[in-house]
Amino acid sequence: MSESSAATHAGHHREGFVKHYFFSLDHKMIGRQFLFTGLFMLVIGGLLAMMVRWQLGYPEEPLPFMGGFSEDFWDGESWWAQTAPFGIVTSEFYNTLFTMHATIMIFFVVMPIMIGGFGNFLVPICIGAKDMAFPTLNMLSYWTFVPGVLLMLLSFFVPGGAAGGGWTSYAPLAAVPDYAGVEGHWGVTLWCISLFIIGFSSLMGSINYITTIINMRAPGMRLFRMPLTIWSLFIVAILLLLALPVLTSALAMMVFDRLFGTNFFIPDGGGEPLLWQHLFWFFGHPEVYVLVLPAMGVTSDVLSTFARKPIFGYRAMVYSMCAIAFLSWVVWGHHMFQSGMDPVLGTAFTLTTMLIAVPSAIKTFNWLGTLWGSSIRFTTAMWFALGFVSLFTIGGLSGIFMASTPVDIFIHDTYYIVAHIHYVVAGIIFGIFAGLYFWFPKMFGRMMSETLGKLHFLLTFVFFNLTFFPMHFLGVGGHMRRIYNPEQYEFLQPWQEMNTFITMMALCLGASQIFFAINFIGSLIWGRRAEDNPWEANTLEWDAPSPPPHGNFLEDPVVYRGAYEYSSPEVEEDWLPQSVYLEPAVAGEEGHD
Amino acid sequence: MAEDMSATVTLEPALEEVESEVRPQGPPPFFPEPPGGSGGDDRFGDDDDHAGPPLSNAYLGLLIFLGAETMFFAGLIGSFLVFRVAHEVWPPAMLPRLPVGVTGVNTLILLASALTMRRAKIAIRSGGQRELVRMLLVTAGLGITFLLVQGYEWLRLLQYGLTLASGVYGATFYVLVGCHAVHVLGAVIWLVSVLWWAARRRYTARGSAGVALCAMYWYYVVALWPILYGLVYLY
Amino acid sequence: MLEQLIELMNRLNVNMLNWLPEAASTYAPAIDEVFYIIYIITGLAFLLVTVVMFWCLLRFKARPGRRARYSHGNVALELIWTIVPTIVFLGIFFYSQSTWSIIKYPSEFPESSVQVRVVAKQFAWEFHYPGPDGEFDTEDDKMFDGDMVVPVNQVVGLTLRGSDVIHSFFVPEFRLKQDILPRRDIPAWFNATKTGRFETPCAELCGPGHSGMKGWVNVYSDAEYQAWVAEQWPAPVDTGVEEMGQEDMPQGGVDPMDQEDSGQADTAQ
Ligand code: HEM
Ligand SMILES: [Cu+2]
Ligand SMILES: [Cu+2]
Repeated sequence: MSESSAATHAGHHREGFVKHYFFSLDHKMIGRQFLFTGLFMLVIGGLLAMMVRWQLGYPEEPLPFMGGFSEDFWDGESWWAQTAPFGIVTSEFYNTLFTMHATIMIFFVVMPIMIGGFGNFLVPICIGAKDMAFPTLNMLSYWTFVPGVLLMLLSFFVPGGAAGGGWTSYAPLAAVPDYAGVEGHWGVTLWCISLFIIGFSSLMGSINYITTIINMRAPGMRLFRMPLTIWSLFIVAILLLLALPVLTSALAMMVFDRLFGTNFFIPDGGGEPLLWQHLFWFFGHPEVYVLVLPAMGVTSDVLSTFARKPIFGYRAMVYSMCAIAFLSWVVWGHHMFQSGMDPVLGTAFTLTTMLIAVPSAIKTFNWLGTLWGSSIRFTTAMWFALGFVSLFTIGGLSGIFMASTPVDIFIHDTYYIVAHIHYVVAGIIFGIFAGLYFWFPKMFGRMMSETLGKLHFLLTFVFFNLTFFPMHFLGVGGHMRRIYNPEQYEFLQPWQEMNTFITMMALCLGASQIFFAINFIGSLIWGRRAEDNPWEANTLEWDAPSPPPHGNFLEDPVVYRGAYEYSSPEVEEDWLPQSVYLEPAVAGEEGHD
Repeated sequence: MAEDMSATVTLEPALEEVESEVRPQGPPPFFPEPPGGSGGDDRFGDDDDHAGPPLSNAYLGLLIFLGAETMFFAGLIGSFLVFRVAHEVWPPAMLPRLPVGVTGVNTLILLASALTMRRAKIAIRSGGQRELVRMLLVTAGLGITFLLVQGYEWLRLLQYGLTLASGVYGATFYVLVGCHAVHVLGAVIWLVSVLWWAARRRYTARGSAGVALCAMYWYYVVALWPILYGLVYLY
Repeated sequence: MLEQLIELMNRLNVNMLNWLPEAASTYAPAIDEVFYIIYIITGLAFLLVTVVMFWCLLRFKARPGRRARYSHGNVALELIWTIVPTIVFLGIFFYSQSTWSIIKYPSEFPESSVQVRVVAKQFAWEFHYPGPDGEFDTEDDKMFDGDMVVPVNQVVGLTLRGSDVIHSFFVPEFRLKQDILPRRDIPAWFNATKTGRFETPCAELCGPGHSGMKGWVNVYSDAEYQAWVAEQWPAPVDTGVEEMGQEDMPQGGVDPMDQEDSGQADTAQ
């Protein structure tokens, strides 16, 4: 079948509906499948977050919209009546909510959208290839991902409910079913199995991305001419390839502990709970960079395009991503400063963590350098990219506090961490939006509404900061994370108003996403037809028709320059696509080689 | 450059070397042949009879996959070492020792299979299809023997009371060795399918990538074992 | 210098760190100082980035007839913003390190005059006192559910012991937090500088009852503390907080004073 997809690339050959929309081998369709799955999970993850916030803002009050249920319903045996009696979130359900919220957002929203969605759509087309190196493997990657999703969702409905040990599932709480305080051991077990499965999905993706980028670049597409999005995805694929198997091995041990009587992480049987933490964070820290690097890449591309200016310090951007990738293997212990790990190790990990902050700083300054002297077109995508930069600045700077061991003594496991996480990980959603508004025309052949888009940005940016910035204050006040009811603590009484405020802002933040949904779905159906290159951008995907056909390009592209030749003096327009060939005479005497 | 920019001179490019990298000049387009990127009809590369670029897609893909496998075992081996180093007495009291001798012989069997695999590969390179089949048969036989011996030893250890629940000693032993056995099993299945094709004369002197890929995985699985043997049985 | 800055921030009402719980242990001010310094450094960095960014957004909006500057970078600038952050971050590292080692390196723990074993279990704290003999796991041990009593201005040595899952002992006012691992004893210490009653939540998710798992540290004045000890161990023991040099083995809060208890022989060196 590989020959057939290669041979038919030019003509849009007819396939059956099922083959086209479900079992497509086309990287663009697989990308869209990941994108839609991720967006669907974003809705679920968001709703879970709203319930978490509700409980914190209005502890042990019934959730909204619960009045419609009758007394009989609450007396009944239905799943909801059991899980949240009278609409009140129980502490068991609360633990499930924040655990699943984080798990879903990280593994089922950011990863599939960024890596599965943008990665699949963009990697081949941006390097001028017709498809991935292994199209079948690519399809399998999606169809391995789906059972993982289903299993994770299904786990809400098994006896005992879904996993409730935090997205970090520290042992022995997660390794010994009895400690969870619910009857039934399925929650964490399914959590492990689901992550185990999507590990395979991700592995197939990584193999594909790396092979494709190494072997299938168009003529002239040198590594150092690739757009930074592709660089970030390349590095991320390598990180995932090497990090996820470690989690897989830990998950396997966890499942054995839970089901087959081993004692890897259970001290009563001679096991070592800290081993789980080491393995988890050895995976986990590279993982957070897996999440953020593509957002950085997308932001770089969007910024440069709409600043009409070459990215500032392209090589430095690439090298700092590489530096981040290397250093991310030796910083995991900064999640374990207070864990009982030898405090001398804590010292070593602070040092490495301080070092990894340097490339992040470089990237931020280079983004500013890109803006300096630019000629900015304020599109929605640009706004979201700028939003990402400012949120990442805050998130990166708040990381410095926690990297400092003495300060971390106090703020570890408080809302300060929650604020940090959200400024970086939820900030990544800004990168996702930037990418969506930017590539929507290419992906779906229609334009999104800029007016609705800007409204969406404004509301999201304002409510995001109103939701998450005050969490720094809670953290400084000592407010622990993962607690069910802050009112149980006297020293937190004064913070309850702040909690309520945050909850209201969070609800508004959630509600603002309606504008995105309207815009997205509306534009899919009624959007203005997009030209091939609506943003006047340089990279190869804009050479292809919108949306690109099977095989992507009408003519095999050849690459003559880097991705960021905006406002080049060589041409009159302020953009100069990578594939445009210029006669040396036109280039003028500026040339040097 | 626009006149009104003069206020911002600080950001003038001080060195031009970045640009020179980005903008090469002149026709015909000066580009290095992208490795494997222009491999004729086989741009998708999952064709076994790939010839040309230094590392075909399939080969590269398998190498990358082996990177992931290595990290998986690194996780397990690291965990094993954590426990091993923490215990002075190993095996802990009351637990059976592992059959070092039998497994040593078994190790030799597995190592021998790598040699026969290699001979299979050499054979097909010069077109020896018959020899290929024979050598693959021997290799598969050795692999299966290895698995059977391992299985038998497991049964005996279980009789002696070493189970998954026998502390971290039992757990690390069965999980580490078991994961390797699963990989050998996978390799044997792959090998048998290659054998099936080989018997149908699918491979030729110039089209033997299918054999080479399988061989690479086989070598990996074989090479992993002595490390595990050294750690789990001898250390 | 630092004080003036803090003063200024307070006056401008931008001081997030005003929200810190009162500092009630010897090392709390040291931690807060690191906190402040990082706060100021990162605050300045944040201001710098934000101001430059806003300036760019206002100044470099696309206008007809103006072209963006065609520049691929500036090595000198990039070197500056690589080297300066590196130096700053390393500075923060060294500055943090001294405070960290004093608080958490067991080798640098100060001698403690009161010894308490904290046992964490789903979902409560138990505080064990060694009693007059200064040794744990003897007859005169006493256990208190959820309430710990310590004297002010004295080093309290803690042994954190877990029983089921991981918990974390957190006293916000002391800036003390330490995870507790099952079947492991982890040492910790504090020296309270204020009397009062401080809440000690569990800071590590430990199950459905995690929220609400809390206890209290009651910091008594010397006199109150001695009275409390006398009340708890009413034997004719001449209790009193030790002022003389203590042996280097784990010490009880209550000095045995070599009196009548036969178990004393082995404590005395
Ligand atoms: C400037 C760079 C950064 C530094 C110095 C930094 C530092 C830290 C430290 C020290 C912690 C552990 C705090 C604790 O638990 O006590 C932490 C937690 C965390 N960081 Fe970062 N970080 C940085 C960037 C990022 C990025 C880019 C991401 C994600 C994209 C990220 C995601 C997270 C998450 C998710 C956690 C919380 C994990 C958990 O406990 O659930 N961080 N960070
Ligand atoms: Cu980290
Ligand atoms: Cu607890």
